[in-house]
Amino acid sequence: MSERTSEMLMFRVGSRVFACDVQDVRRIGSPLEVPPEDLLEETPLGRPFSQERGLVVLDASGELERTVVVDHVLGVSSIPEDHVQPLPPFAAACMTSGAVAGFVLLDDSPTLLVDLPTLVSEHVAPPRSPEERP
Amino acid sequence: MRIFTTWSPAKGTTYTTDLPGHPSTAIIADRMAEPKELQPEAPGGKAGAGRGGGPAAEAWFFCLRLLGGRYAFEAPLVTEVVRLGPLTRLPASPAFLPGVFTHRGEVLPVLDIAQLVGQGSVPIRASTRAALVHCGPWKVAVVSDAVEGLVAIPRRALEPPLAESAGVAEFLSAIGRDPTGTIAILDLPRLVETARARAVPAGSTPA
Repeated sequence: MSERTSEMLMFRVGSRVFACDVQDVRRIGSPLEVPPEDLLEETPLGRPFSQERGLVVLDASGELERTVVVDHVLGVSSIPEDHVQPLPPFAAACMTSGAVAGFVLLDDSPTLLVDLPTLVSEHVAPPRSPEERP
Repeated sequence: MRIFTTWSPAKGTTYTTDLPGHPSTAIIADRMAEPKELQPEAPGGKAGAGRGGGPAAEAWFFCLRLLGGRYAFEAPLVTEVVRLGPLTRLPASPAFLPGVFTHRGEVLPVLDIAQLVGQGSVPIRASTRAALVHCGPWKVAVVSDAVEGLVAIPRRALEPPLAESAGVAEFLSAIGRDPTGTIAILDLPRLVETARARAVPAGSTPA
């Protein structure tokens, strides 16, 4: 019996590894090729050390393209769907950013699952408080 | 007094005593059982979890050591005591939410009461123990310096807390005493709800 999986792009910002839905990334490029005003260098994920790669992402409206600067792209992993978990309700209610969508359990260790379109949207417009989020 | 322990899928672990005429019972909800609602307040006491209704009835609390003292909250709120595994820190989160960890495949948030009340922080190591609690819709792991476990306090020994509103005193519902010493009784549901409410000042930007 085949197990349903999700394709996740794994990347590193600073010393931390994050995951995102591979379909949220339009392409991977070099930050050097992008106008500075289109770069997201410092985000709630942290500040990249080496800034070697950029994940080109559309915001949640699908109209605005920005490049999220990361240190390394580690590759794409097929993650069984039961290894993907939402944020615990208390954590979701306390966080100031909606860009963390949940967790990918790798070796039983939670890796943050990032909603890149929301990350870009929050960079353009300040995030709403948890009570205001839909 | 002797304490007997029984278990059933419906009630979880049940502790009963053999006090004649005043059976005192506290239920610790096992993870297989539904979380229990708070018991109604006892007459004349703000933290009355006592059963039996008589003057000798005891209230059962779950006691932790933190902030250099003994703190407790209503025992039925606790479902388990666990050792924290590796902690995954969350971006854009308040200091009282130092991260999450996995327990039996479930991701659980960690609550540091010391951080919430601005009195330092509980050192978090692999050996740190936490009480898993259900407070309304929220399930959190409350970290502590040490876990004492269940304590029974005669209801008549519960006293109102000092009228202070700063730090942890804001969340005290009673002061109790047992043979080991004084225990500050926390209104944990109010503390957790206050933490959530304080987490995000309106219009704030991500950290």
